[in-house]
Amino acid sequence: MTRLIGKRIPRIDGTVKVTGEAKYTVDIQLPGMLCAKVLRSPLPHARIVHIDTSRAEKMAGVKAVITGRDAWDVRHGFVETPRYPADQYVLANDRVRYLGEEVAAVAAVDEDAALAALDAIDVVYEELPAVFDLFEAMKQDAPEVHPVQVPDLDEPYKNIGGMCANSFGDVGEAFRSAYLVRKDRFESQLRTHCYLEPQATVAHYDSTGMLHVWTSSMGTFRKRMHLARALKMPESRVRVHKSWVGGAFGGKIDLFSHEFCTALLSMKTGRPVRFVAERDEIFSYFRHSQPMVIDLETAVDRQGRLLGQRARCYNSCGAYRGSGVVFIFLAWGFLVGPYRIPALDYAGYSVYTNSPVRAPQRGHGAPKVRFAVESQMDMIAEELGIDPIEIRMRNARQKGEVLPNGDSIRNAGLTECIAEAARATDFQRKYSENTRGQNEKSTVKKGIGMGVSSYFTGTLIYPNNSAAIVLFNDDGTLKLLTGALDIGQGAETVLCQIVAEELGVDMQDIRVVAADTETTPVDIGSWISGLTYVTGNAVKKAAQEVKKMLLLSAAKEFEAGPEDCELRDRRIYLKETDKSISFERAIARHIRENGGDPIIGRGNFRGLKDAAIGPSLKNAKGAWSDSYAFDAQVAEVEVDMRTGKVTVVRALTAHDCGFPLNPLLVEGQIDGQVSMAAGQATVEDVIMKNGVTLNPSFLDYKVPLATEMIESSYIDIITEQYEREGRFITKEVGEGYVSGILAAITNAVANAVGFRAKKLPLNVDSVKSFTNPGDSE
Amino acid sequence: MKGDAVKGERKQATRRVITLVVNEEEHALMVEDRETLLDVLRDKLFLTGTKEGCGTGECGACTVLVDGQAILACLMLAINASGKKITTIEGLAAGGKLSPLQHAFVEQGAVQCGFCSPGMILSATALLSKNPSATREEIQKALEGNICRCTGYNKIIEAIEKVRDKIS
Repeated sequence: MTRLIGKRIPRIDGTVKVTGEAKYTVDIQLPGMLCAKVLRSPLPHARIVHIDTSRAEKMAGVKAVITGRDAWDVRHGFVETPRYPADQYVLANDRVRYLGEEVAAVAAVDEDAALAALDAIDVVYEELPAVFDLFEAMKQDAPEVHPVQVPDLDEPYKNIGGMCANSFGDVGEAFRSAYLVRKDRFESQLRTHCYLEPQATVAHYDSTGMLHVWTSSMGTFRKRMHLARALKMPESRVRVHKSWVGGAFGGKIDLFSHEFCTALLSMKTGRPVRFVAERDEIFSYFRHSQPMVIDLETAVDRQGRLLGQRARCYNSCGAYRGSGVVFIFLAWGFLVGPYRIPALDYAGYSVYTNSPVRAPQRGHGAPKVRFAVESQMDMIAEELGIDPIEIRMRNARQKGEVLPNGDSIRNAGLTECIAEAARATDFQRKYSENTRGQNEKSTVKKGIGMGVSSYFTGTLIYPNNSAAIVLFNDDGTLKLLTGALDIGQGAETVLCQIVAEELGVDMQDIRVVAADTETTPVDIGSWISGLTYVTGNAVKKAAQEVKKMLLLSAAKEFEAGPEDCELRDRRIYLKETDKSISFERAIARHIRENGGDPIIGRGNFRGLKDAAIGPSLKNAKGAWSDSYAFDAQVAEVEVDMRTGKVTVVRALTAHDCGFPLNPLLVEGQIDGQVSMAAGQATVEDVIMKNGVTLNPSFLDYKVPLATEMIESSYIDIITEQYEREGRFITKEVGEGYVSGILAAITNAVANAVGFRAKKLPLNVDSVKSFTNPGDSE
Repeated sequence: MKGDAVKGERKQATRRVITLVVNEEEHALMVEDRETLLDVLRDKLFLTGTKEGCGTGECGACTVLVDGQAILACLMLAINASGKKITTIEGLAAGGKLSPLQHAFVEQGAVQCGFCSPGMILSATALLSKNPSATREEIQKALEGNICRCTGYNKIIEAIEKVRDKIS
């Protein structure tokens, strides 16, 4: 039995966050700090003819002005590979490709002086034709966003920033022998993260030549690598400090121009510099998620078993690649994850347009793919007269299966998830009742729907691995040094739990020192869904190492073997006796007998230990991940027939996330994902016209509010293997559960009113056009 | 952008001395007329527990108590708060002991990234002091102006209900 693992432990950073003591990047104040502001392109596509900063430089209070000329010739990208070389200058060089692209930056004594200086920078642009729609951009006669595109493209398309293709099985035969073929186009809108803490960076280049950086991010080591590279500095001269992060959801992983500018402005002035983005800047110019169009063709047999699929995915990655090429690669994985597909013909295209660059957002493509697949699954079930649960059970992957990329899903509780979710919600009864209700004359109709998804647990993208150090203080308490950055998910808490469990001590006996690139070992970061698995295992190894040393020391005291000793209440007991010594005494003995060694343990972990590099972005081949989480989620909705308003009333998540190390934190992750999915399903939509964002505020971009809280419940499916041996080893839990519930909501609306949405969001206008077509105003 | 309205007005800005009673301490401060209560709390008194999420009164992260009322500090001019009693998140844990709401937020898992937590807790504090037996609907209504992107609000509302059940 475990003492702390698997228990509802409140987070260790809770207290500093509820008292206001927790310092976020926006709260960092340094003496003599300057204010940085960024000048942005007013045009979506233009050649920069001339920039004159001389007036701005002479203004009172202005300390430095930088443009692309100061930024060397450095380019950066979310992906930097031979196939996809970095394509974005940190400050625009000769050309701007989206409205809002960074052209210059200033540092001044205060905000007023900085803004006045921006006004005094004269830029002459020569406007170029721009393209915003992704299918327009693919046409041969479209304006060219970049002179180069994917090298091996053999189709007559333009502006292709990335392409991923992968096929397996006999697709032709699958479609020839099919009982039923469905072909549908599904479209998802542009949604955005809405992290509450604005993007912010503080930089201080000190007199020793060290650059200190605080920045609102998702991993300090990845930021350090990108920033050092952009600044042409050795990584060892860049120290990214920890600051608490006010939410990220994928939106803070890339290197941003403002981070480079803030750093360079500090280097130019020798003074600390702070940049904080305004909320409308974030809505208008920063990186959002990515809209996706999927053409999905599916062949099934009489029983609804999948025989084969053809899929074409298109996304607009914006004016630079950003994570667009990763998005179309991941989409393949999210297609093949949960269901057995014998044959697939897949191609994904990431298309340049003159729009702001796109980033990952919680799920990174999975919500959009699962919305398409799960919608179509229900449509097929209906045509064949099979119920939605049965068709999913017939296609769900079983434990021990091997995915088309070679990854083994050694344990997969998907069929249990589906069965339990259906049972707990009385799914089939409600589904039939609601279907009958479609024809009744009621103003509010009820619907229930299910969605299924799976998500990988970390993969290989720099820094790939994590290391950790656990060391004893002389008083028997411990310190954990980890590079992990807690962005709200509870990373520090869960890592602390792992050490406490191993050493048999209380959470309060451990101090966590985290996320400082100078004082903690390298860490994978809070992204690609790998932290708790990769860093958690590194921390576990470090804790086991100190435990081993402590036991050895104590065993000498008892003149016994370490296997005869056990830990309890910061004491070491000789098993089956009441003989014991304190941790302090065992530590002191170890120091004395080992040349001063105070007991320091180190641990390290890398997923996919046999793989040299991560999977191919070009063809999705190569190992992806050690394990996959699975879920089946059910949504219950009410649709007001008069107004078209969709209310998500209840959500249930049955999931196999390995072993939930801390259910309180896991539930928090699920609730947040359910809420984010409901927003995406029903209201959230970044509306752009000709490169301009028309709703750049929380008033106009609506996110779920407290009055829209969704009753959320959970069923942990812990597979036999995890029950037996994996109590420390968890799987993904932080982003996979946006997808199933998003699909479940759209399926529930279809169950309520018979309206099958193929385009998100399901806002009141779209639903009303179905429920109340006469009342169009 | 927020700064647009104030460009070039620097020289004409009027300054005056005001008195703010913040967390039971009196401060005499020289402020410009256009400075918000939020600017003064964060930049002059270094009470950075009060957060700015939007600067335009839409997210609720800057909520403070002014004479017991939950107020958005980004929408209130500092000069209009002169002489008033202000409570920020730093003033809630009297003598280092967490308030019941602060304690419940930690215990119930109502905090994730924590950026909305100060404003959320102050909105809830104002509600329960006026209406100690607030229903779930009343709690949801009172928090409608406080955006949280992490929790889906479930555990926040549960935490407030827990405190309500204890006091009512």
